[in-house]
Amino acid sequence: MIARKKKTTIFTAVFLCLVLLLGVAGCGPKESADTEDGKTVIKIGTVGPLSGTAAAYGTNVLRGIEVAVDEANASGELGDYVLKIVSEDTEGDWSKAANAFQKLVDIDKVNVIIGAVLSSETAAGGDIIKDAKVPTISPSSTAVDLTKGNPYLFRNCLSDEVQAIQLAEYAVKELGLSKFAILYTNNDYGKSLKDAFEAKANELAEVVAVEVFMDGDENFKSQLTSIKEKNPDSLYIAGYYTEAGKIAQQAKELGMNVQLLGADGLCNVVLLQIGGEAVEGAYATSGFYPDDPTPAVQNFVNAYKEKYNEDPDMFAAQAYDATRIVIEAIKSKGPSSEEIREGIAATKDFPGITGKTSIDEEGDTIKDVIILKVENGKFIRAR
Amino acid sequence: MFVQQLMNGLILGSTYALIALGYTMVYGIIELINFAHGEIYMFGAFVGLILVTVLKVPFFLAFLLAMAASALLGITIEYLAYRPLRRSSRLAALISAIGASIFLSNLALLIMGSTPYNFPTPFEAKVYETPFFIISRVEILVLLSSLLLMIALTLIVQKTKIGKAMRAVAQDKDTASLMGININKIVTITFAIGSALGGAAGVMVGIYFRTVTPTMGLMPGLKGFVAAVVGGIGNIPGAMLGGILLGIAEVLGAAYISSQYRDAVAFALLILVLLLKPSGLLGKPVQEKV
Amino acid sequence: MISPYYLQLIILVGINTIMALSLNLIIGYTGQLSIGHAAFMSLGAYCSALLTLHFNLPFIVSLLGGALFAAFFGILIGIPTLKLKGDYLAIATLGFGEIVRIVCLNLEITGGAVGLRGIPKKTTLLWVVLAVLITAFILNRIIKSRIGRALIAIREDETAADAMGINSTYYKILCFGVGAFFAGLGGGLFAHYMRFLHPKSFDFMKSIEQLCMVVLGGLGNMWGSFVGATILTVVPEMLRSVADLRLLIYGAVLILMMRVRPQGILGESPANGGFKNNSYSQWIQTRLKKSLRKRSGSDKT
Repeated sequence: MIARKKKTTIFTAVFLCLVLLLGVAGCGPKESADTEDGKTVIKIGTVGPLSGTAAAYGTNVLRGIEVAVDEANASGELGDYVLKIVSEDTEGDWSKAANAFQKLVDIDKVNVIIGAVLSSETAAGGDIIKDAKVPTISPSSTAVDLTKGNPYLFRNCLSDEVQAIQLAEYAVKELGLSKFAILYTNNDYGKSLKDAFEAKANELAEVVAVEVFMDGDENFKSQLTSIKEKNPDSLYIAGYYTEAGKIAQQAKELGMNVQLLGADGLCNVVLLQIGGEAVEGAYATSGFYPDDPTPAVQNFVNAYKEKYNEDPDMFAAQAYDATRIVIEAIKSKGPSSEEIREGIAATKDFPGITGKTSIDEEGDTIKDVIILKVENGKFIRAR
Repeated sequence: MFVQQLMNGLILGSTYALIALGYTMVYGIIELINFAHGEIYMFGAFVGLILVTVLKVPFFLAFLLAMAASALLGITIEYLAYRPLRRSSRLAALISAIGASIFLSNLALLIMGSTPYNFPTPFEAKVYETPFFIISRVEILVLLSSLLLMIALTLIVQKTKIGKAMRAVAQDKDTASLMGININKIVTITFAIGSALGGAAGVMVGIYFRTVTPTMGLMPGLKGFVAAVVGGIGNIPGAMLGGILLGIAEVLGAAYISSQYRDAVAFALLILVLLLKPSGLLGKPVQEKV
Repeated sequence: MISPYYLQLIILVGINTIMALSLNLIIGYTGQLSIGHAAFMSLGAYCSALLTLHFNLPFIVSLLGGALFAAFFGILIGIPTLKLKGDYLAIATLGFGEIVRIVCLNLEITGGAVGLRGIPKKTTLLWVVLAVLITAFILNRIIKSRIGRALIAIREDETAADAMGINSTYYKILCFGVGAFFAGLGGGLFAHYMRFLHPKSFDFMKSIEQLCMVVLGGLGNMWGSFVGATILTVVPEMLRSVADLRLLIYGAVLILMMRVRPQGILGESPANGGFKNNSYSQWIQTRLKKSLRKRSGSDKT
């Protein structure tokens, strides 16, 4: 029994040491000086899922930010300032995102935050950054009214409403489609796309079937069989590329002959890899077209490919633009949180790689929607 | 349409059954919910993917190698995370299993990244049409392989000497060891077989759905487990039955109730079965020892 | 002045302590393995948030409303499922947890997939500290009473407890109701602190996290729940500097911890269903039975 007690004591001691050690390790680097090579550091915080099921989106966002920051630091366009990224993982869980936001504003004392990625994460952080008065621009949180009533929260992404409406109009008027089916993913992104598309398509033509799936689902045959029964001439997929590729594949296996339509969530090469021939001819709205010949886009695509050996997608491009908007704000107003906020709010006709961008008084984005088409296993610009 | 939906359920169910077989195997012998089984399934899919795409190994060989690698991983997990706990509480083993699951999926994320990989299909995509339903070649393959694996497994457990030893260990560890059965060896073999099945399931499902990601084991792992319980955990034909029943319930629920509640239907079925027949559809009622 | 980040961590430690304490009553003291505890938390969180948002009730009323709502479901679910034992009960609670999450994801009133925004911030450190103290006090009273001894008897040997005249079903349902009540209370505090709710944070992994808090701290030990909740809230935050390896370390620590000290940091009792022929667990069982006898003896005097 004495031996046992001794063991317990030793264990407790070891454990406490471990905790202390981690505490020290955790606190150490935070106290780093605010200058680097004689330049003043401007800290950019990022929040997003780097692990868990949504990790692919968060990782691409972080990469887009890194490309923009590296570029700005290398070019010296910020003069006496240098940008530094402090990135925080959320595991895709909004309550952990709230911790990440709080840490960035209190401990790291960042000047500005780019994030979060998922709408629920941004919603959880909205009040925190408003209280702390740290401007935040999300590159991908599309939920309706997210930025409303929060002068510190902005976003740089296509509005779900606008892209769904524009595609519905294009589908009816240009493609001559009339019987729509909708398959949407059960999250804020899918739901707001579905609501807007359903309303507009019902106004112009007819929606015959609406079905839903969960993020990460792999088998869609049940929903597709129900849709097939209704004989639509087109299928609007309100979701992301991985699921969309599988949906296209399985629809083809079921012998469905429908025109595939979608939103910016589809625009990733993974869609082409998974979907193969099944996604041939699909149309999708997008803010970003990687084969756009303008130098700004090509510079980004090349820099990204060089760094990560992968093609950038919409998430990366929008994150890059969001970072550029922040950099422009620093250049025009100054590096303090309040100055950056003013700068972002004043953004007008910013020539981004995802199109000409303005920020409205609610912190929402106004930008052009382009429509891409899959042809010969590549995205090409249809409009 | 109804027949097509039944068919859809059958295929979906057999992917669950593939996973459930491994779960049930391990539970049957050591009464441990092997939460890391979903990750073994993911690991198998990745090994298959790397062998086929990077090393250009012929598909069938890659399939067998993926099974072997998964078996190895299963044995390692058992040795490191479960064996030291065999004499401590069940809850400790459960937490250890959860730890293993978290560790493995994040290790995969660290090494392989989060972008989904495309699994090249080894067969020409061909679709067969009958008057009542449409079925693809891969689906027939998934269906047949889960059936074959189930039969093979039943034969191993019922007809071989090792199977006999497994059943003895499942019934009473202490007596079995007194009879000269090497418990450690039997548990290792059980884990090897269960994990090989998990790996096989990973490759099959990878081919079927064409993607492999580090987090692919989470939801299917949970569903496979539910399937094993519905059929009667520890019972091999039960895992098959449970998987198929779960698949059909999900598909019909999505088609005739609402696709919003598809997963809820699966879990409601689970609770219903547990209430009506706690030991599962084919499970033997557990006699409580006093 | 304490920085808001540390304040937030302290508040989360408090809320997690309430969650762990209430789960400890179910798992640690009564020996019923539940892995759907986050569902009760979400029921309490949504109910109290909606009471505040739609009826503008005082904070204390909506907190209690949420807690009672969760307790109601705890009893409702408890009645049929508590006939199940061990792993089967665990699986049924898992299923229940997933159903609650999916329903919350699809209802209009909960904000569905978009989430519930604009909940006023009413939870302060004082509220949380008070709630933790009250929870600990009440649970402690329950455990030290006749009810507590009945619960521990059920954990040690349900058949024997039944034979002794303890109505085990009644006590198990009571324990589920009380556990769910405090989980709902924790949920209400959580909702009014976060100002936002989404079903994503009440999934299977959350239940597992709460289970880990209880087991890590020590089953059947109230201080253990506090220690477990503190460690599992604070350490992941400390590990932020090694972002990539964070969850890897978490998984490895769980495995190691179970090897080195399976009964948890402060735990002394063997968990439900342990092998009986282990000398260590036998030693503890006899010790527990002795203390059980001692306690019932001292009550009489």
